[in-house]
Amino acid sequence: MNAIVYCFLNAMESETGAIARGLRRRDPDLLDRLIEQYQHRLLRYLIHLSGNRELAEDLFQETWIRVLERGHLYDGRHEFSTWLYAVARNLTIDYLRKKSPVSLDGLMEDEDHAPFEPIDSQPTAWEVVEQHEQAGRINAALIGIPAEYREAIVLRFKDGLALSEIVVVTGAPIGTVKSRLYRGLNMLMERLEGTQA
Amino acid sequence: MTRNLHERAREIIVLAGVGDRNQARGRDRNEDRVDPQEQIWLQAHLQECAACRDYADAASRAVSVLRSQPLAADSGLVRTTQMRVRVRALELRRQQERFWLVSLACLFVGVSAVITTSLFWRAFEWMGVRAGVSNWVWQTGFIFFWIAPSLIVGAVIVARGTQLTGNRDRLWS
Repeated sequence: MNAIVYCFLNAMESETGAIARGLRRRDPDLLDRLIEQYQHRLLRYLIHLSGNRELAEDLFQETWIRVLERGHLYDGRHEFSTWLYAVARNLTIDYLRKKSPVSLDGLMEDEDHAPFEPIDSQPTAWEVVEQHEQAGRINAALIGIPAEYREAIVLRFKDGLALSEIVVVTGAPIGTVKSRLYRGLNMLMERLEGTQA
Repeated sequence: MTRNLHERAREIIVLAGVGDRNQARGRDRNEDRVDPQEQIWLQAHLQECAACRDYADAASRAVSVLRSQPLAADSGLVRTTQMRVRVRALELRRQQERFWLVSLACLFVGVSAVITTSLFWRAFEWMGVRAGVSNWVWQTGFIFFWIAPSLIVGAVIVARGTQLTGNRDRLWS
């Protein structure tokens, strides 16, 4: 068992090390591969963080430009996705601070911005309607939750990050992360039950 | 006290009981695993407490609903991003190459200045003596000769900068 864990950790370290070396070289092929590999996860995170698909797509592009420019800062000790999320998070916060001195929640209340839409490969018309309804319910439930709780929930339950990774991304202590998860999920449950009732 | 027990059970359910995708992805982490004794305690508590059982079910449902929402990046966004990243990478590479060239040129100029200053000083002194002029004349000549290239380059850069700004203003107006 220990040997398996050791092999797994070694493989992970060599992979993150290879990414770190590639980023220091600003290897465009590596970046192409990373963009493809993390496209859905990063966009999903940005959509949930900003509450706006259009803005999230802009931030998606800017995040990768920043990864290119500051790739030398990635040391390969953590998983690349953790560092990527932290870059995206900082960029989003910077953008929202510049845009207007309001909290993330203020942006969520902006009705001019269309909520995020589900995308699927080949859904039937019925599935599209159902998906829209379902997405609308989840969206409404998520938007009602304060941004820091929403972020923790998405990172943990949608993207499957470990608690320690969420600590790295958000910069919050582990106790705070746990509390955000517990309270956030409770809020989400209440709101989902409210929309279903 | 009873309330604390329920809260403890619910915290364990949220933090490790539901939605741990790491296990499914083979990335199970030690720090996220529930202590076996806590797990046993939770199972016993859930058998006794219907409210916490309902809570566990509701939490699982909420997480699966959350995961059922399909959100994906479209291929156009990915291609545009890849293209932008490649263009920026090229710009950065060119900037870096220019930086190295300028650094190398500065180093060369610095070293050659250190080596040639005393030679030129003596040459000007010799010419001054041969021409029979006073010291301040050949010394002023030396200083002018020494700073003239910098003055010319500075003037060219300022003129070029002004011209570029003018062109940009015309383009944007």
